[in-house]
Amino acid sequence: MGACLLGGAVWPIDGAQSLPASAATDAAAPFLELSQLLIPHHLDGEIGRRLAAAMAATDPALANQIDALLAIARARGAKVVEDFFPDIPAGPLRERALAIISAWYTGVIDDTPGAEVIAFELALIYQPTRDVMTIPSYAISGPNGWTSEAPPLTEMPEF
Amino acid sequence: MANQDSADIVIVGTGVVGCLIAEQMLDAGLSVLMLEAGPRVERWQIVENFRNLRPGQRLDFNAPFPPKPWAPHLEANTPAQAAEYLDLVGPNARAYRQDYVRYAGGSTWHWAGICWRLTPEDMQLKSRFGVGRDWAFGYDTLEPFYSRAEAALGVGGPSDPALQWPPIRSKPYPMGRLPFGPGEQKFTDAVARIGLTNLPAAQARNSGISYDGRPPCCGNNNCIPVCPIAAKYDAATALPKIEAKGGRILANAVVYRVETGTRNAIEAVHYFDPDKASHRVTGRLFVLACNGIETPKLLLLSKDERNPRGVANSSDQVGRNMMDQPKLVAELELAEPLWTGVGPVQGSSIMQTSQGDFRGRHGGALFRFNNMARSRIGGTAALKKGLVGKALDQEIRRLSACTAEIAIEHELLPDPNNRLTLSDKTDWLGLNRPRIYYDVGDYVRRSASEFTVPLVRRIAAELGATSTQVSTEFTNSDHIMGGTIMGLEPSASVVDVDCRAHDHANLFLPGGGAMTSGGSGNSTLTMAALALKAADAIASQLKVG
Repeated sequence: MGACLLGGAVWPIDGAQSLPASAATDAAAPFLELSQLLIPHHLDGEIGRRLAAAMAATDPALANQIDALLAIARARGAKVVEDFFPDIPAGPLRERALAIISAWYTGVIDDTPGAEVIAFELALIYQPTRDVMTIPSYAISGPNGWTSEAPPLTEMPEF
Repeated sequence: MANQDSADIVIVGTGVVGCLIAEQMLDAGLSVLMLEAGPRVERWQIVENFRNLRPGQRLDFNAPFPPKPWAPHLEANTPAQAAEYLDLVGPNARAYRQDYVRYAGGSTWHWAGICWRLTPEDMQLKSRFGVGRDWAFGYDTLEPFYSRAEAALGVGGPSDPALQWPPIRSKPYPMGRLPFGPGEQKFTDAVARIGLTNLPAAQARNSGISYDGRPPCCGNNNCIPVCPIAAKYDAATALPKIEAKGGRILANAVVYRVETGTRNAIEAVHYFDPDKASHRVTGRLFVLACNGIETPKLLLLSKDERNPRGVANSSDQVGRNMMDQPKLVAELELAEPLWTGVGPVQGSSIMQTSQGDFRGRHGGALFRFNNMARSRIGGTAALKKGLVGKALDQEIRRLSACTAEIAIEHELLPDPNNRLTLSDKTDWLGLNRPRIYYDVGDYVRRSASEFTVPLVRRIAAELGATSTQVSTEFTNSDHIMGGTIMGLEPSASVVDVDCRAHDHANLFLPGGGAMTSGGSGNSTLTMAALALKAADAIASQLKVG
């Protein structure tokens, strides 16, 4: 728990090991496991637990859908999302997989008035450009320390 | 020393204009009491509010400033919410949805920090081009106050006259220019190929050095809606300095009436506290610096037997000539990356397009490459495509880097029909809300159809755009001007050359409302210059009186 096999390497989910073995932790474990299969990046355990709890609170079908998605991934021996995403049937299951990905990227489970923001600085939406673009309000250089140079589009940062 | 009931100078409003005047008055040895309708908060609270906005709300610049019930301002989380305070009507009602903030510190919390000056031509539209109005004085009169305002706000700008706007200056900028990020540089290079100069903006952001107790800009790319480190001037940083000099600041004090007395002098202002209890504040001289909408609203609310049209309104010009720079936006998709989000959210503009003999027929305009990080916009668009894995990340990076936005802000003429009146709809305190009729007029529409839209398409082509979408509905630039217009004739204007009300010798109405024309650039530096000009006149008047 708290880690998954990805491309032959174990990527720990940050903070997972320090968790108390509470019922809430257990409830989030399948969500975290599925998240790591859907998203090939380092994921923050605390953010994941909060996303899982927020998503479960709005839809009681979540747990069953996660089990179904994990079953598809296991059946394909999936290590990354490309291995099993095409096999997820269109409809509620595929929508759920996309919703989980969207939640990690945007930091909210639903971008409508009153939505709770669970991640901002660590929302994945900001990470593919983090080598150039400032995450708003978080400086990445210093006094007049930026230039007009930028790396190629093809150089994806690691995150 | 001021108390909470009286002072030499009573200033209503704590934005840039009120704060500049307060400091000048305190330095002149006069007592100052400032009344602010909204709450007073710390910077970290606004930063936290911003970071807790849902993604779709992060371009709603008022969203980190939830209004108190007694001091409403525009909220636009939903269309219904946007209609709750400003009662906007007319052909371009949408274009007057002004994002101002009723908090201590005012709208400087979320201004971009851009400090363009007007040009001599901008101030003489009538005599040079036969349209609009001329200012009551020329650029030479305003220039020393521009220099003082630049020193007071801490403005960085280029030392090369070829890059200054306008290059008619008595003093250098207090600091040098800020560097360009990749997008602004590529935009500058592209427009140069078609004969246009993208100027580094004069901006009230500390450039490479600390200034006036504030740190240098570190490129947090969040000037709008709040600079997290106070590198940009905002009036919130001025408030403690005012208090250190002995000024008093009362927050949550909603002034709703200006009281006149014998010889039509102002005797007092009345405010409601959050418990709806009314209080009376007296002074020798009063300054209303509530912004271009709230000041005319307050004057109209204050009508009495001596002033049946409202205070300062014998001319019937209070609330008329409401101006802004109506904005269109071009959204570009490009084959090659431009990149935004490096440095401040705004840092340059094409200004030469604001000038020309065409101004007899249509307005000029400013063109600005918006440098706000596009990662959220690109990311949201990529997610909507249903992509996953590496394809998703690559599309986020591409759509963030290879898209851009160019803002076009148009010069508008003062038109008495563009008018603020009192709505029959009321706010939480029972005060009439502002009702504003707004039509940008043929002067702006011709500018767009004959000049700016064709030009932005040329610029887009030069940038290598594969797709260009230009908005068709004008929107607000938040540069509220004209509602207490300046002039020499008391029958045709509200304030004199020092922003003193023609009708009341001890009432000053400095700021955007006094501006006779707006040009195409951001209005704040002119508002600040007028504030300092008024401050000199006030000090002189009280010392003589």
